Amino acid sequence: MSSERLRLALRDLAAGAAFAAMAISGQVPLWALAFFVAVLVVALAGRRPLADGRLSALALLAAVVVLYAAVVVEQLDLVVAACSTASMLTAQRMLSRPSPRTTDQVQLASLLMIAGGAVLSADLLFALCFFLYVVLAVLAQGLAVVAEAGPGPLPPVRRVLRPLGLGVALALLGALVFFILFPRLSWNVAARRGGASLGPATTGFADGLRLGGSGLLKSNPRVVFRARIDPDPGTDDLDAYWVGKRFDVFDGVQWSAPGRPEGPARQVVVGRPEPPFVRQEIDLLPAYGSRTLVALDRPAVFGEAETHAPTFTVRTELLPSGDREVRLISASEHVTYRAYSSADRSPAPMVDDVERSRRLQLPSRLDPRIPALARRLSVGAVGDRAIARQLERALQTDYAYTLELPGRVKDPLADFLFDRKAGHCEDFATALAVLLRARQIPARVVVGFHGGERAAGEYLVRAGDAHAWVEAEVDGHVLRLDATPPQHRSAVGSGLLGWLLARWEALQIRWLDRVVEYSFADQARLASEFRRGTGSRSRPESTTGRRDGSVAFALGLLGVALVVAALLGRRAAGGDTERLGRTLQRLLRRQGRLGPAGWLDGAQLDEANLAPVREGITRYREARFGRRPLGPGEGRRLARRARAALRSAPTPSPPAPPRPRAAPRPG
Amino acid sequence: MTSRREWLRRTWRRLWRPPRRLRTTAAGRTYLVLTFGVGLGALNTGNNLLYLVVGLQLSLIVVSGILSERCVRRLRVRRLLPVLPRARTPFHLGWGLRLEKGHAFALAVSEVHPVLGTAVGRLAWLPPDEEVVVRAVASAPRRGPLALETIRVSTTFPFGLFVKSRDIDLGGELLVLPGRVACHPEPPSPASGLGLEQRSLRGLDGGGDLAQLRELREGEDARRIHWRKSAQLGTLLRVERDAQPQPRIMLQLDDRAAPEALDGRCEELAARAEILLARGAEVGLESTGGLRLAPASGALQSQVLLRALARAGYPGEPA
Repeated sequence: MSSERLRLALRDLAAGAAFAAMAISGQVPLWALAFFVAVLVVALAGRRPLADGRLSALALLAAVVVLYAAVVVEQLDLVVAACSTASMLTAQRMLSRPSPRTTDQVQLASLLMIAGGAVLSADLLFALCFFLYVVLAVLAQGLAVVAEAGPGPLPPVRRVLRPLGLGVALALLGALVFFILFPRLSWNVAARRGGASLGPATTGFADGLRLGGSGLLKSNPRVVFRARIDPDPGTDDLDAYWVGKRFDVFDGVQWSAPGRPEGPARQVVVGRPEPPFVRQEIDLLPAYGSRTLVALDRPAVFGEAETHAPTFTVRTELLPSGDREVRLISASEHVTYRAYSSADRSPAPMVDDVERSRRLQLPSRLDPRIPALARRLSVGAVGDRAIARQLERALQTDYAYTLELPGRVKDPLADFLFDRKAGHCEDFATALAVLLRARQIPARVVVGFHGGERAAGEYLVRAGDAHAWVEAEVDGHVLRLDATPPQHRSAVGSGLLGWLLARWEALQIRWLDRVVEYSFADQARLASEFRRGTGSRSRPESTTGRRDGSVAFALGLLGVALVVAALLGRRAAGGDTERLGRTLQRLLRRQGRLGPAGWLDGAQLDEANLAPVREGITRYREARFGRRPLGPGEGRRLARRARAALRSAPTPSPPAPPRPRAAPRPG
Repeated sequence: MTSRREWLRRTWRRLWRPPRRLRTTAAGRTYLVLTFGVGLGALNTGNNLLYLVVGLQLSLIVVSGILSERCVRRLRVRRLLPVLPRARTPFHLGWGLRLEKGHAFALAVSEVHPVLGTAVGRLAWLPPDEEVVVRAVASAPRRGPLALETIRVSTTFPFGLFVKSRDIDLGGELLVLPGRVACHPEPPSPASGLGLEQRSLRGLDGGGDLAQLRELREGEDARRIHWRKSAQLGTLLRVERDAQPQPRIMLQLDDRAAPEALDGRCEELAARAEILLARGAEVGLESTGGLRLAPASGALQSQVLLRALARAGYPGEPA
């Protein structure tokens, strides 16, 4: 690949990385994505069809007018329009005839796209695109500047890549240092709600639970919250239920929860809390997208809720609604709170008759086959507990799990039980609750999450872990029943993919913790720790309990960068010469030809066919001591020839031991 | 006293001169505007990723400074001046560049001089410990000595956003000879103000053996006529000998004229001197300012005369 082709390819790939930084947000229009990918492919193939860019510039102008018209009529977000404009500008320049000006324009427009990506996305993938962009853009721009500097021979690419590699390392380090030290005194004038990438935020919580909905949520891999549990369960895959919302009333199609929320409070006690408790520090991420709080089954206390904005953190109040739900008083993208759950299956709190009758209520137009089915499935079971367990087992074994549903049907429950005999967790939970009620056992449906993957000492819960199950009141106890087949309760991956996902999530958490949510408070804490001069962290325990090693990390990175810079400098200064010397020394040592004390001086090289070795040593000395440096690639050539010559030469016999000097004869 | 004052002046200037000069390119200006805009956006929104981007942009400015400094810091330069530069005629300025350690890229070399500063030599790559000569085409509008004090080495490496320059003090002088003009065939009249030629007839007899006889041309010295042969053939014949006599001409220069007029006279005299010397004459120069160059012939005399004419009228300069 020629030097020009290489630098143009690097430039175009840098633009591609910058575009990807925007595209991962999922907010870039599909047509813009397709257009840019096509342009990138054409550009990488070396085609530049827009020799005269006037016509395409006019087309670009027209497209920009259309874009901003769409903004005016509120069909397109302003930032998305700006990002699309930058991508189109970059594409137009990429396909134009290469020139220094074009290269500069592509690079500057790519920088705009990176900034657009920073606004649109907060995902860890942005970091990857950012890193790729920095590497590719620095290399491409450096090569372009050298190539356009003037007449004369161009240097070998690797000669330029060395200082540019140093430049990349320093640029990344500098970006980190600036990032840490730049005062976070935001004016917050035009703060944009961002951060939710890879589609809109959702957890599936709603005021009602309607049967017949699609099961797309189940395949959504986004992490919606993370939790630190005390005492730590210690398992990699948590087999636990996270309660979100309980539904009592079923009308045949939809579940709902009657009742009005109580007054706001800083701390909410649900039911009758009984120790021992399991404490949870829960961090609702931007992908969560709901006001409903979750806690491990059986939740007892919610409190210490805080909403986190980029520049400040405030305490927030909670709205309880009996034991059915605890909600935030207002929506926020990032919330942390503490929850305590009862570890024991203590007796259920007493409920009044109204409540009890609500949990026994059946839909008015219930299919008559359902009570008959309930009786048939529970034949032989004695007592409520046995009946409940038998019904649970029957549904688990006789019905299949599927996310492919036919859409709206008149009676989704009958359709599930008698026709399709396949459904997802909401169908299973609804069926079990109705069958239990048909056998006069109070039951209600609970929605929340099931599972949790361990990462960095915490448990991550994904949108796909959303789940529904049943709580039944049996013999004065709350019995949790889950009719969904166990292998379909959560969306936890397994094997290598699961391991990779967990590592990725761990990185994502660190990224969110230390970069996306870095704040003025963190800066103040770093400054105070720096003043104290202590290496150990004594940070007051935060809501997430995270430990931040940013200072040590930055100092370590600085040290590594300095060492790399020094090594690169040394290599650039005399790397070839030293390498040639070392190679010759090694080759000669193998054959026992080195001179006294292992030096090249005095090496045994008398054979005629060892002339290349002698030439190599001579050039090494000239380059090292005679100020006649090696040319590009000369060192490698000399070493190769010397190696070939030595391979064909026989190994010399070891020198004979010195003969003992004759003793002087007496005169 | 003058040299001490000059030394003080140079020291004072060096003290107040920044060690490096930094100029933004067009792309650099756009980059700075972008950096400012992204920084403003970060402050407005509090978006940490925008802070990361602006951190990268600021960091790239610093990296640009570090890498460009590596290119120009240890650079050694020597000046390669043309021998006979003529006014208004393009000539080559040269600089020998050497870097003991490391590589330098995207270099531009020029003189810090109002006249010669526009000539820029460019070099894409300077390998370590190897002298590379860079040349640039320059032109001077007038004759005279040009004092050279400083060489400016610049680089746009690594990103082309800024031009970093290092000024290297290196004294020197470029003497620009009078420009070439068309020469009048006849000597200038005394009233023309272009100086006088004083011809010496001494030594015109020539010497050596008789080489040939030829017809006497109009204006030639009648004393060279071979009367006997002329009488025999009925036409005037001139004797030519092996060693022809060389005319000895003293060019006269009135160097009290205004600079522009003096330039014209010097160019005229330079042209005449070159023609006369090419014909084999011995040419000298005498000026009203007291300059006197004895007549001589040959290429060396041509250079001596041209240099003297180049310096004519410049006070304090050696003749």
